[in-house]
Amino acid sequence: MTKNIRNFSIIAHIDHGKSTLADRLLEYTGALSEREMMEQVLDSMDLERERGITIKAHAVRLEYKAKDGNIYILNLIDTPGHVDFSYEVSRSLASCEGALLVVDASQGVEAQTLANAYLAVEHNLEIIPVINKIDLPSADPNGTIKEIEEAIGIDCSEAILASAKEGIGTEEILEAIVKKIKPPAGDDNNPLKALIFDSWFDNYLGVIVLVRIFEGRVRPGMRIKMMAEGGIFEVSRVGIFSPKMKDVHELFSGEVGYIIAGIKRVTDTKIGDTITDADNPALEPCPGYKDIKPMVFCGFYPTQTHQYENLRDALNKLRLNDSSFVYEPETSLALGFGFRCGFLGLLHMEIIKERLEREFDLALLSTAPTVVYRVTKTDGEIIHVENPSLLPENYLKIEEPYVLATIFVPSEFIGPVLDLCQEKRGTQKNFAYIGKDRIKVDYELPLNEILWDFYDRLKSISKGYASMDYEFIGYRESDLVRLNILLNGEIVDALSLIVHKDKAYYKGRELTEKLRGIIPRQMYEVAIQAAIGNKIIARENVKALRKDVLAKCYGGDITRKRKLLEKQKEGKKRMKKFGKLELPQEAFLAVLKVK
Amino acid sequence: MCNFLYIHIPFCISKCIYCDFFSVPFDKTLSEEYVNALCKELILKKQNIKFLKTIYIGGGTPTVLSEKSLSQLFKCLNDNFNFSSDIEITVEMNPGTLDELKIHTLIDSGVNRFSVGVQSFNDNELRFLGRIHNGENAHNTFKLLKKYNLENFSLDLIYGIPGQTMESWKFSLENAVNLSPSHISTYELTLEKNTTLYKLIKDSPNHFTMLDEDLIIEMYNFAIDYLSKNGFEHYEISNFAKPAFKCIHNLNYWDRGEYIGIGAGSHSFFNNVRTSNIMDINEYMNSINSNVLPIKESIVITPREELKEFIFLGLRKKEGINIKKLISSHLVNEKLLNALIKDFIDTGFLELKEDYLRLTQKGILISNTIIVKLFEKLEI
Repeated sequence: MTKNIRNFSIIAHIDHGKSTLADRLLEYTGALSEREMMEQVLDSMDLERERGITIKAHAVRLEYKAKDGNIYILNLIDTPGHVDFSYEVSRSLASCEGALLVVDASQGVEAQTLANAYLAVEHNLEIIPVINKIDLPSADPNGTIKEIEEAIGIDCSEAILASAKEGIGTEEILEAIVKKIKPPAGDDNNPLKALIFDSWFDNYLGVIVLVRIFEGRVRPGMRIKMMAEGGIFEVSRVGIFSPKMKDVHELFSGEVGYIIAGIKRVTDTKIGDTITDADNPALEPCPGYKDIKPMVFCGFYPTQTHQYENLRDALNKLRLNDSSFVYEPETSLALGFGFRCGFLGLLHMEIIKERLEREFDLALLSTAPTVVYRVTKTDGEIIHVENPSLLPENYLKIEEPYVLATIFVPSEFIGPVLDLCQEKRGTQKNFAYIGKDRIKVDYELPLNEILWDFYDRLKSISKGYASMDYEFIGYRESDLVRLNILLNGEIVDALSLIVHKDKAYYKGRELTEKLRGIIPRQMYEVAIQAAIGNKIIARENVKALRKDVLAKCYGGDITRKRKLLEKQKEGKKRMKKFGKLELPQEAFLAVLKVK
Repeated sequence: MCNFLYIHIPFCISKCIYCDFFSVPFDKTLSEEYVNALCKELILKKQNIKFLKTIYIGGGTPTVLSEKSLSQLFKCLNDNFNFSSDIEITVEMNPGTLDELKIHTLIDSGVNRFSVGVQSFNDNELRFLGRIHNGENAHNTFKLLKKYNLENFSLDLIYGIPGQTMESWKFSLENAVNLSPSHISTYELTLEKNTTLYKLIKDSPNHFTMLDEDLIIEMYNFAIDYLSKNGFEHYEISNFAKPAFKCIHNLNYWDRGEYIGIGAGSHSFFNNVRTSNIMDINEYMNSINSNVLPIKESIVITPREELKEFIFLGLRKKEGINIKKLISSHLVNEKLLNALIKDFIDTGFLELKEDYLRLTQKGILISNTIIVKLFEKLEI
């Protein structure tokens, strides 16, 4: 039975053609007729399409009649394409025996591809190199093959030349999947062992869990247990995506499919957890489970206080579907009642904010994102600080998260890239030529430094050619201080930030200057100060508003004047009141504009 | 029943670069047909008008009309309405569109207030603004008015013109005062979209820039001081008058009195409804000629809007607003109001005398901000 199953993923950089290739495979195997094909079926969330990335993993079962005359079941497990979701990627890869490594023949290997290819190698996956977009005039298949061999160290002598757009190479790819990727091991008669690689909440069905069965079998009526989280549930339905949802009687060892078991919260089904038979449990779970913690935090506040309840409901709904996102109520002196929210990364944060505003019609004010600091208090207690304004006055030490960043860049841009990493407090760990004109550099960097404008600047100094990936490597002690911003002598907690001591003066000056440009003139002069402790390190003034008057009001058109004033009043609604001051959203993100 | 009448004449010889008011190039035939339509509209609205206390003919440039058209319009007014014995009849005019014959016609028709769009006595500024006259034309116009012993005339001046200096502003004010008008209006030049000036400043910011805010404030404050010293009362944000020469017609707008507007693009306020007429001249005439009122929009004023109007129109006047009246509307929280007023008084933006709340000179400059704050805090 299992000898005809092949489980595989596609590894590719954004825009290297992953979705188009997936479409071709679906089309070729008849999973969807051409008429049914919606372009790029796998990216089903609107936001995913717009941003051109895959956020949630999906799985599709294809049936393929190979040249040897046998029918094979091919399970394509899609992977998210952004560094924020690298843990999810690792769980998807762990569910496969092989992967297609798709590289754009005109672009070459990118950092993201490399990181995921390494992950696949770590999981002992069979890697099938696919050189895509060979139809492009700028394609350089031989150069690309060389790059893959040098950068990843895999044999590319049998790499497939393809153009997913033109349908070139599709059959060769399917044949290679059948011939090269091992069928899954495992025994239907062993106790159940199913790896969760995705789950989401459906309004009608509750939580739907996507699993790869490694051992045993699962069918409706069975009592299952989450080995890490501990929950026990009764299975009501199991099935596959072909790509439409289709119930089956039983899922066997080696298969990929869904389980529905009356689960109400997505947090009960953590990605990477192992499902087993509650009455006949496996001895040990699948390896590699991590309880993954948010890396980036920011505050969300409704601009109008009466929207607080709506915001809470909306966060609750989003949380149903996304266990990696956390929130808890917080109060800011400046902003009132809101929530501190944690995300896997900046993209994840932007997605959530956009969904809150778009799907729930909320007007939100967000504070600048921050990383989580580990602080050892004077009494030895270790706390995690997710909000700069909560950093204690005195402490023994403060540590910040570090990442190992891998950057790929054409050699002509290497100078500015090294300067940038230096400026961001980076330490170079590795430097190597890949091919004749590309360089791979590894840097250890504080996460805090790459949160803000790092990626954009990397792109701009390399004319868009550089790519980057990073992984968390732990906490390191740093010389950090809290920089407070005072408006008319009062600290605005939502503007506080934690910065490296060497950069504090510079940041203070830059930030006050930026704020001067952002805070509109008001009835009274506004003094903007930056301070470390009691010491003021920078000061700017916003002069009082001097002139705001309608010169003409005659001829009887009173309504137009009234509407002008009402519009001005509406504009103020979007401002956050802070004592007598009114601050626009941009003020709270000003820190992001400081280099 | 209404006592205040506005008539709009949307024709100009040429458009000034800063103007976003409704006007079209003068065309004799069109203007004659238009005046016919005005007379018809007057009759259509006759039953809403009691005797008249003011008539204000504005534009555009009313004095581009021929003597014949002007006479026809006034004959229609005289034939259909009773005039109060102290009626104020104002006509707006531009130097350069006026000759002895026309003045004669106007005086014979009963016009007793002349509002002259001088704008500046500096020829370079006038040329820049696209005015069709120069300083000398302006002086000649006033010579004519004086010849007929007309004492109630007003002139408009503009400050904040790109390139204008404090000296040239003083020069224009002195010239104005020396002509001994009964009334002076000073308007800040504001940049409106869809004007030539707007395009000019957008396209060549190196050649043309609006004046610095501090200089504009200095010009405004100078005008207030200078005109006060010369016997003019600063009775509204942009208006100054010798005793007993305030513009009764305009005061009625700021007092929220009723008025009837006649003509394309004109506005009326009657029975608590604010209406505006169709702007397009041909559409306007077609409507009138089929005996249909040419209404473009009509808005019933809610108590809340009434209160807002009361505040923002009332605060334009030097006498300010009666807070007893504000409180008696029952739409505002008295406690909130008092706290708010105290705050504004403490900071020097408002003053309160015998129940009348008014803007200080400092407050006038940011009157929009103060008014909006009042709306906001009083939740209206």
